Amino acid sequence: MTKLEAKNIVKYFKHDSHRLKALGGVNLQIEDGEFVCLVGPSGCGKSTFLRIVAGLETPDEGEILFDGKPVTTTGPERIMVFQEGALFPWLKVQDNVEFGLKMAGIPKEERTEISKRYLDMMQLTKFADSYTYQLSTGMKQRVAIARALVMDPDVLLMDEPFASLDAQTRDLLLVEMQLIWEKTKKTILFVTHNVTEATVLGTKVAVFSNRPSMIKKIINVDYKRPRLVEDQNLFPLQQEILSELRPEVKKS
Amino acid sequence: MKKNTLAKQIIFYVTLVAIWQIVSMTNIWPNNLFPSPYEVAEDLVYTASDGSLFFGIATSLLRLIIGLTIAIVGGMLLGIFMARVEIVNQTIGSLVLGLQSIPSVAWVPLAILWFGLTDGGIIFVTAIGSMFAVTIATYTGVKNINPHYIEAAKNMGAKGTQLATYVLIPAAFPYLISGFKQGWAFAWRGVIGAELLFSFLGLGFLLNVGRQLNDISQVFAIMLVIMMVGIAIDGIIFKRIENKVMSRWGLR
Repeated sequence: MTKLEAKNIVKYFKHDSHRLKALGGVNLQIEDGEFVCLVGPSGCGKSTFLRIVAGLETPDEGEILFDGKPVTTTGPERIMVFQEGALFPWLKVQDNVEFGLKMAGIPKEERTEISKRYLDMMQLTKFADSYTYQLSTGMKQRVAIARALVMDPDVLLMDEPFASLDAQTRDLLLVEMQLIWEKTKKTILFVTHNVTEATVLGTKVAVFSNRPSMIKKIINVDYKRPRLVEDQNLFPLQQEILSELRPEVKKS
Repeated sequence: MKKNTLAKQIIFYVTLVAIWQIVSMTNIWPNNLFPSPYEVAEDLVYTASDGSLFFGIATSLLRLIIGLTIAIVGGMLLGIFMARVEIVNQTIGSLVLGLQSIPSVAWVPLAILWFGLTDGGIIFVTAIGSMFAVTIATYTGVKNINPHYIEAAKNMGAKGTQLATYVLIPAAFPYLISGFKQGWAFAWRGVIGAELLFSFLGLGFLLNVGRQLNDISQVFAIMLVIMMVGIAIDGIIFKRIENKVMSRWGLR
């Protein structure tokens, strides 16, 4: 079943006085439960595309269909995880995780019950009462993922969530992310500039061209999980993606 | 406070009082224009022992608290509207900048005409003299919120008053606290100024009585009290909140 469909998405950036065509007609179809990684040269607009899917920005042309219905605004069925986490520093970890539930008017006991489950899943239980400034970057991203999962969205939109992590923490989270995906069966759209990350996580990797961006190629990754970063068998795929990317990076 | 700093301050103030004592003993200025520290202390003890000092402090503080509360609530509401609704900023925003430049005491004639020689008049002067400082700080604070906080909150379903109470105000808090501090300083000036001109109670009134009776040591004594109340509120209330906010928001 098709969960998300992008139909000819066009977006212009305002650059000083002139308009720059960032997205030149992106078409993408995502099935329910797929893990799709978006890679592309920096500045190609892959993050903008994700924000359009989230409903945080509107396309100049084209439309996003969610379960066949056009997306016009943000919604709890499509939750975004930001690059820097965007956690609220005035709230404890647990209250951060419960934020969406509180906004939905769910009573305190029920919220605690739900948040406990996800704090446990993300190994955050002993940090429940900490403030975000007391956490490492890796821990913060775990909280951000827990905060998104609590909303029980159909689609998780992740904008380079591991970009600012150190290598060891990232490798650990790459494994955990696969487990979470298998356990929760969410549809995930994951923006990254890291090809290894994309092949480790994705069921599909969509390669963006340079501006005005379109999807140049979609590569399927059929390989057993959990996949590890150092797995040699993924190299040929990574090389294939890189050979698609290289001419695009040179153009930019 | 560091022990070292405290020691330096004690030495400084002891020296200052000693110099004051020496100057007053030289009789450069007549005693009815420049009292000795002993006479001022004597006056303080006297006004304290008959209770008029504490009654004066309490009266002024009560007016301050009511006026400042009105200023903070009104200022925050106006500031949030200015930051979130562009037309409010373009219209009322320009007026606020103008109104902020009016010194508190300049509102006194209006207050007397509107409210008569009442507490209401003093509270009006206090509130209006400090409100726009809070408005501007709130506006700046809300404008400077990390946009990802607002996007994440909206994505998780927060809107309208929920967004304001659970996200905008706490996220802008580091700015708000400096606005409150500035607001309090204006309010304190406003209360004393207004009392000086048209009240029968409060520290400003006591100061005026000192002048009318040609009692120079009372004038000195009350000015000292006004200063000490200021230091106390700044140091006890605002410093603490500020320290807490700064560390939690990760600003230190």
